[in-house]
Amino acid sequence: MGLIKNIKLYSEEIQISADKKEILTSFLLNGFPTTKDEEWKYTSLKKVIAKEYRIENKGKIIDSSVIEKYSLGFKNRIIFSDGKLINTPTIKGVNITGFSEFESATTDSILQLNKALSQNGFTISVDKNTIVENPIEILFFSTTENSFSQYRNQISIGENSEVKFVERIQNLNSSSSFVNHFTQTNCAKNTKVEFNKIQNNTAESQLIDTVNVYQDQDSTCNINTLIFGGSFTRNNLNFEQNGSNCESNMNGVSVLNDNQLADNHTFVDHKSAHCRSNEMYKGVYLGHSKGVFNGKIMVRPNAQKIDAFQSNNNLLLSDTSSIDSKPQLEIYADDVKCSHGCTIGQLDDDALFYMRSRGIGIEEAKAILTYAFAFEAIENISAKQVKTLAKNLLAQKLNVDLDFSL
Amino acid sequence: MLQIKELKAGIESNQILKGINLEVKAGEIHAIMGPNGSGKSTLSAVISGKEEYEVEGGSITFDGKDLLELDPEERAHNGIFLSFQYPVEIPGISVSNFIKSSITERRKAQRLEAIPSKDLLKMMREKMELLSIKKGYLSRNMNEGFSGGEKKRNEIFQMSMLEPKLAILDETDSGLDIDALRIVANGVNKLRSVDNATIVITHYQRLLDYIIPDFVHVLHNGRIIKSGGKELALELEEKGYDWIIKEADKKWA
Repeated sequence: MGLIKNIKLYSEEIQISADKKEILTSFLLNGFPTTKDEEWKYTSLKKVIAKEYRIENKGKIIDSSVIEKYSLGFKNRIIFSDGKLINTPTIKGVNITGFSEFESATTDSILQLNKALSQNGFTISVDKNTIVENPIEILFFSTTENSFSQYRNQISIGENSEVKFVERIQNLNSSSSFVNHFTQTNCAKNTKVEFNKIQNNTAESQLIDTVNVYQDQDSTCNINTLIFGGSFTRNNLNFEQNGSNCESNMNGVSVLNDNQLADNHTFVDHKSAHCRSNEMYKGVYLGHSKGVFNGKIMVRPNAQKIDAFQSNNNLLLSDTSSIDSKPQLEIYADDVKCSHGCTIGQLDDDALFYMRSRGIGIEEAKAILTYAFAFEAIENISAKQVKTLAKNLLAQKLNVDLDFSL
Repeated sequence: MLQIKELKAGIESNQILKGINLEVKAGEIHAIMGPNGSGKSTLSAVISGKEEYEVEGGSITFDGKDLLELDPEERAHNGIFLSFQYPVEIPGISVSNFIKSSITERRKAQRLEAIPSKDLLKMMREKMELLSIKKGYLSRNMNEGFSGGEKKRNEIFQMSMLEPKLAILDETDSGLDIDALRIVANGVNKLRSVDNATIVITHYQRLLDYIIPDFVHVLHNGRIIKSGGKELALELEEKGYDWIIKEADKKWA
């Protein structure tokens, strides 16, 4: 059986529009991407799609204590239970509603599937000249066993506005879950938007998370990705800079053990001059875990004076962990500054000795140094609650005891 | 307290220490001087347990224990502290968290309960005052972006928190201006007691104007070639190392 079969059976039962039906037919014909596909060369979906899933799920009522457990306590919360929208906040200058159809420019089969099957998600529009002070927290809970869910979200931010989002996808049962999550974001002139993705799901959870960001001039978009949990995580962050003086920033931390896999795929399409992009991805791999990083930067012929910086630094802390890291730069303009760096290493012996000479045992010293290595990518997170959570999750996963919040 | 007998050690089959004998008693300050490449830093690395160095012969005992059998952290737990010539930068770890970890780990090894953070913080503030360290310093990342003087002061600050029995100051004066040197030396002097001992490793005499040694040893080519009182340092300052080296070379020729 497997997921393809589940989708096929489901598609025979549901009533969908002719164009969606067509998309689905084409998807079923081609199937999920395989490692023969360049964009999926190092990340195999084979095990993920071999399992059985339920595609239509009702969404159980979630106890408020459960919500509090996974919430960072923000005032503005959007909450989903198996796709069903169960809470929307009221914020001045912000219109939040449920799922609505929209077009997305893509040939990616995962997004095709998302388009064809989606009935859930949110639509947010932020008015012009609106500064949303408190971050908007979005919690997506999976309550049904072995659920396969699609979320399709659209955000548009009006000129001169600012907003921050904190997202968390959480499986509430011990069985498997698979989420195909897509957010399309339009940033008008002079806007600032930040996404914080907390990916600390259960050991049986799988996620493909895609964000397409379209930026107008003078806009800044930051995406922070914190991967600690989940068995399979694929992030696709795609930025299109359509005006001058845009800035796209990405920070990512992956701390993986056991058989976890995390793949960060980024793409910045520099279509306009005088823009910047910054990427800092840090990975720590223990056990049999596997990391993938693919950072594509495209500088179009007229996009002069581009400043693009990309780094991917990795620590392999076991003999059975691995990382595939691939910078991919395509530069068609001649007056640009693009740099990329990728490192794969072990811990610094001098630092280890320094700590041991101060009485810190070797295991603790290794854990602290690993913490310090990963910390750099969470240092710049502006939402205090997210930064604190990231620090705590990091310390917890590495078993480091650091409690001064100085 | 510390007894070094006929210590021979080196790195990658290159013998650097060729038979060191040294005894340090509680309450004493020993200065080890010598030209570049004489083996000063190797000696401090071997005492503190740096693994790249191989001990080929001789012994080091500390309070009756065979020091060479112990891991670096165990040596620290027993009361040995090395102030590094080049302190290592550790981004992401605040000074306060670093010190907390070292104290907690030592207490764990001694089967003592951890000191609550609040009390540790109070101790840190007291020691900071002693060393004229400004506020805000505790939350800075360990040695990251510190000036040479700040790094050395941070070493002495850690020493003050760990209260070692034996402190080894490896070229603590290098890279310090005269004001920083005075602050560091004052710190060392204030922490001095009849129960602890200090080994000052230095290239120049000037630090010894501020930290007055009981004994001065001259290290050359892996051996202590002359020992004396504090006046030996002054004599070296005036006449250089050549005259002693000539004497020694004649002796070992």
